[in-house]
Amino acid sequence: MSNLIRCTINGVEYSVESGITILAAATQNGIEIPTLCHDERVEAYGGCGLCVTEVFSGNMSKLMRACSTKVSDGMVIETESERVRTSRKFVLDMLMSDHIGDCVAPCSLACPAGTDCQKYAALIANGRYDEAVKVIKEALPLPSSIGRICPHPCEKNCRRALVEEPVSLASLKYFAADKDLFGDTYIPSVKKNTGKNIAVVGAGPGGLSAAYFLRRKGHNVTVYDKMPLPGGMLRYGIPKYRLPKNILNKEIGIIEKLGVRILCNKTLGKDFSLDSLKAENDAVIVATGAWLSSKMRVVGEELDGVLGGIDFLRECAMDNAPQIGKNVAVCGGGNTAMDACRTAVRLGAENVYIIYRRTRDEMPAEDIEIAEAEEEGVIFKYLTNPDAIIGENGHVTAIKLQCMELGSPDESGRRSPVPIEGKFEEISVDTVIMAIGQKTDPHGLECLEKTSKGTVCADTATFRTSDEKIFAIGDVSNKGADIAISAIGEAKKASDVIDAYLNGIDAPYKKPFISEKEVTAKDLCDREKLSRQKNPTLTPDERKSNFNEVALGFSEEAARKEASRCLECGCLDYSECRLIRYARKYNADPTPYLGEKAKRTKDDSHEVIMRDYNKCVLCGLCVRACKDIEKASVLDFTLRGFNASVNTEFGISLSETACTSCSLCVDVCPTGAMYKKTKNMKNVSV
Amino acid sequence: MMKIKVGQGSCGISAGAAKVYEALKTACPESLATVSVTGCIGMCFLEPIVDIYTESGLVRLVKVSESDTEDIINFIKTGDINFVSRLVIKDEDKQFLEKQTRIALRNCGNIDPESIDDYISAGGYSALQKAVSEMTPDDIIEQLKVSGLAGRGGAGFPTWFKWNAAKSETGEEKYLICNADEGDPGAFMDRAVIEGDPHNLIEGMLIGAYTIGAKEAIVYVRAEYPLAIKRLTKAIEDAKSKGIIGNNIFGTEFCCDFRIKAGAGAFVCGEETALIESLEGSRGMPRIKPPFPAASGYWKKPSNINNVETFANVPWIIENGGEKFFSLGTQNSKGTKVFALTGKIKKGGLVEVPMGKSLREVIFDIGGGMRSDKAFKGVQLGGPSGGCIPAEFIDTVIDYKELSKTGAIMGSGGMVIMDESTCMVSMARFFLDFTAKESCGKCTACRIGTKRLLEILDRICKGEGKEGDIELLSDLCERIKENALCGLGQTAPNPVLTTIKYFRNEYEAHIKNRCCPAGECIDLIHYSIDPEKCTGCSLCSKKCPVSAITGKVRESFSINRDLCIKCGRCMDACRFGAVRKGSGDCE
Repeated sequence: MSNLIRCTINGVEYSVESGITILAAATQNGIEIPTLCHDERVEAYGGCGLCVTEVFSGNMSKLMRACSTKVSDGMVIETESERVRTSRKFVLDMLMSDHIGDCVAPCSLACPAGTDCQKYAALIANGRYDEAVKVIKEALPLPSSIGRICPHPCEKNCRRALVEEPVSLASLKYFAADKDLFGDTYIPSVKKNTGKNIAVVGAGPGGLSAAYFLRRKGHNVTVYDKMPLPGGMLRYGIPKYRLPKNILNKEIGIIEKLGVRILCNKTLGKDFSLDSLKAENDAVIVATGAWLSSKMRVVGEELDGVLGGIDFLRECAMDNAPQIGKNVAVCGGGNTAMDACRTAVRLGAENVYIIYRRTRDEMPAEDIEIAEAEEEGVIFKYLTNPDAIIGENGHVTAIKLQCMELGSPDESGRRSPVPIEGKFEEISVDTVIMAIGQKTDPHGLECLEKTSKGTVCADTATFRTSDEKIFAIGDVSNKGADIAISAIGEAKKASDVIDAYLNGIDAPYKKPFISEKEVTAKDLCDREKLSRQKNPTLTPDERKSNFNEVALGFSEEAARKEASRCLECGCLDYSECRLIRYARKYNADPTPYLGEKAKRTKDDSHEVIMRDYNKCVLCGLCVRACKDIEKASVLDFTLRGFNASVNTEFGISLSETACTSCSLCVDVCPTGAMYKKTKNMKNVSV
Repeated sequence: MMKIKVGQGSCGISAGAAKVYEALKTACPESLATVSVTGCIGMCFLEPIVDIYTESGLVRLVKVSESDTEDIINFIKTGDINFVSRLVIKDEDKQFLEKQTRIALRNCGNIDPESIDDYISAGGYSALQKAVSEMTPDDIIEQLKVSGLAGRGGAGFPTWFKWNAAKSETGEEKYLICNADEGDPGAFMDRAVIEGDPHNLIEGMLIGAYTIGAKEAIVYVRAEYPLAIKRLTKAIEDAKSKGIIGNNIFGTEFCCDFRIKAGAGAFVCGEETALIESLEGSRGMPRIKPPFPAASGYWKKPSNINNVETFANVPWIIENGGEKFFSLGTQNSKGTKVFALTGKIKKGGLVEVPMGKSLREVIFDIGGGMRSDKAFKGVQLGGPSGGCIPAEFIDTVIDYKELSKTGAIMGSGGMVIMDESTCMVSMARFFLDFTAKESCGKCTACRIGTKRLLEILDRICKGEGKEGDIELLSDLCERIKENALCGLGQTAPNPVLTTIKYFRNEYEAHIKNRCCPAGECIDLIHYSIDPEKCTGCSLCSKKCPVSAITGKVRESFSINRDLCIKCGRCMDACRFGAVRKGSGDCE
């Protein structure tokens, strides 16, 4: 054809039809040029400024908007030059500096594994439990177990707490997961086999999760564990009354179904070494946890009847409970201390004491654990610290406590306990359980570099140890013992890094850039107060003499009611949002420019269209689509300058306008500023 | 018979010229003299001005008030200048006009703007007649090309080129538009032309319409110019009744209608494509160019847009020939340019000078230098889109290229003069506040970028500037210039860039020393009383609105800085120079 002209894009010559724009020419040839304000169906607009490309003529070059600049014969165009990228980054810096919205809900942000709590809550509210489980299993493979035992940082960050109480996300999670486990169980898909072999040492939550994620990516994974059964601390550290082991077994069974090989009774440093694993595998993950009880260094610690917290729990879990007497003192204020004291109660101890040097307010254990322990008769000796363990004939008979008082706050803000000089107390006990911390067992890890704490040193972005082929996650690494979901989160991130590594790519984990907004109780004062559904439990009498599960779980009705309380904080368009995609691509960073953000209209009055112009980028697509395509002209621009916005005539609510509900505005919106609601249902993000 | 003309531009009326006119009209017997109005002569600092045309020549009276009526009448009756000698313009002020060359403003202040006959008597509409009867559109374009006339709205694009582009477009329906949306703070050139000589604009536009083949001419004028609209409306009606607007103008086949569109005062509507959007009834937001209006403008038809002053030059060029215009000015810039002198200048007003005059000649020889005895610091040219030229470049000549070299622009003619009491950071902040508010919001760079610039300038002026802010500002400016869609955004950073370029030390003083060297930024200054100079008269204490000044009479007084609101009344009141204004380390 004679109306073809030539142009050079990014060094490659193309023939294109004369009269077309740079954007069209690039798109036709598979070159992506970012734009927020362009849509084929409406006239070019030129507002966002993102589509700029560098057009050369001689030694000179100029930034031109690709959406509206027509290609001329012989034109030389660069779509990703330094100058172009700088300009695009600037535009995105600016847009993000004026963006009021949460890409991700605060619950998900707080979850170390980044579980999409908002989405599974919405699906549960809508009765789509199967889909909810699929959502959860993208982030963690053991939801029934984790839902029961997780200290749920998600709930601590839940914005519903600004209205009354947080959404009961953990209980919702295991409600859905139990439905799946005892029904038509979801088996996640596994990619085509890559032929790569990975060894995981440790079948705890971290190791099992790493195996799960890597297996799903198509790799052959073998997990080694020194204990007789897999599960790690979930099995040997958590009492059955909190996590029944049939649940754990079923969940691990699914991982095995995916093709993960779990070899038990295999001890590192004895049955195999890291070197031997390295020789047989393409990568090795160390996830051996922290299985040694910390010592208190008090007189009498060597006496018979003094036990380590996790050692005690492990023995109980193996149905090999140590002999404890009628009077048991448990030292410590964490969850392990609670598990130990409540286990002691169940083993028949008559007087169980918690020895804790601060007060209840400072106690790190979960509130519900403390409350349930109290209900079960545990005696809390606050502001006391073991001074010495007294024994006769080599066996514990009493514990001498130093009485404490709270002094001034330390760096962590907690008031530090100081001894009251000369004030002591003595309690007669048969058993002392030291639940004051856990340490890494260095056996078999000699070849790896350690931290000052004795944990394995691992890069926080690549999880790589001092050995290129060996990665470390969970309690065994860096900061040491943490909650299970943290190890799972690391497993997920590490599996991505390792998968890339096995493909020859260096892709360290990078926290993705997101938009977050500040919300106060005042912002939510119009929300109807809906009290949190209680997860029913056995009464203290029903439970304290056995190991039956204490919590009974949500009924379907309660679960759906509870899930409906979700405020839907996270952007419903997050995964399709072009703004955040480009912001990441061009490394947007609004920090140097942070200032005022324009407060714009939010309107939820319309039956199907939700508008939140705080997320609007003023691309004008909704205005133009409404005017030029639908011919409804319901929306237009208003105000000038920084506060310029899109709105209806006189700012009336959309439902009062001539809106035809065609939803074109939603279709063309590049961000989550316009969203199509689900009628009578909870909105599920795309 | 004698003629009395009372200057009645907006400036004169503000100074009381309407009352003077009424008083003279009532008091002066018709047999003695005619009393009429005229437009602004440009000497706004001397308004109200009454020109008396006697047999022996013009007697110009300045700063006239109603109470002078009797003496003026007596002077007219007797010819005794002693009645009015106190009002006669001083020789030094006469220079203001004598040093000018007036083409666009040639009739302003001389003829009655509300009288078409006055305009015709002064040679008006002969250029139009010549154009439509004797010249082809190409002849006119040739004359414009010869003249070297460039767009006076700011960009300085050759006028003939635009006219030729619009003329070359095929199609019956074309439009000729005048941009009279003069929005720069401190600019009033267009207003003065329309108020003082509306027919000149009409004539220039009709010549343009004839040249490009437009059948309709539209003046887009801001509604904040009611007097200009009133006079232009009357002028259009008068021209219509004389057959100068309408069908078969001057008996030729040329037909052209003419109308006014009053704009609602958005600065961005001075940008030609935003102006077209506004004309069409849409929100004033710029379009992407190309296509340029010459190809697709008003209602997507070929349209030509020029500024008021550009059109105002056209009749003179047609009348006198392009070469005569070309002979004025420099190699790059031809003809004259009208400037509005404002700010700290002694003689504020409207001046028209040939290109090639130096800023010094305009500011000092014509404008009389600084109003107070403070030192000249700089001049902001081109309003919010322009830049600041510092004192050391006072000898820069008025020329599109030469002015651009400094970082400023010719602009439409706003000249804001600053003396040493002007804080340059605060000045830049002022203009950014303006552009940030006037941004239409369409493009990201301008909508958010100017706001961020303003925020940084704000914090610097408050003494909260951070290390690296100057670099941040410079970087933001470059990005905005490069990415903004229209001229408003592309030029908005100019005041910041030029003040950083020439007055970086002031920025640094604000940021590093938390002080404002000019003593203008209120958050950074403080007042104190020099005990050596204070006589204890207590006047300052009495003037202080917040009782922040205490002391014993005949002893020294002092200011409580916690209570002081920095209004400066004490300083104004003190007769002994004891009150001092200080700022951080620069005291």
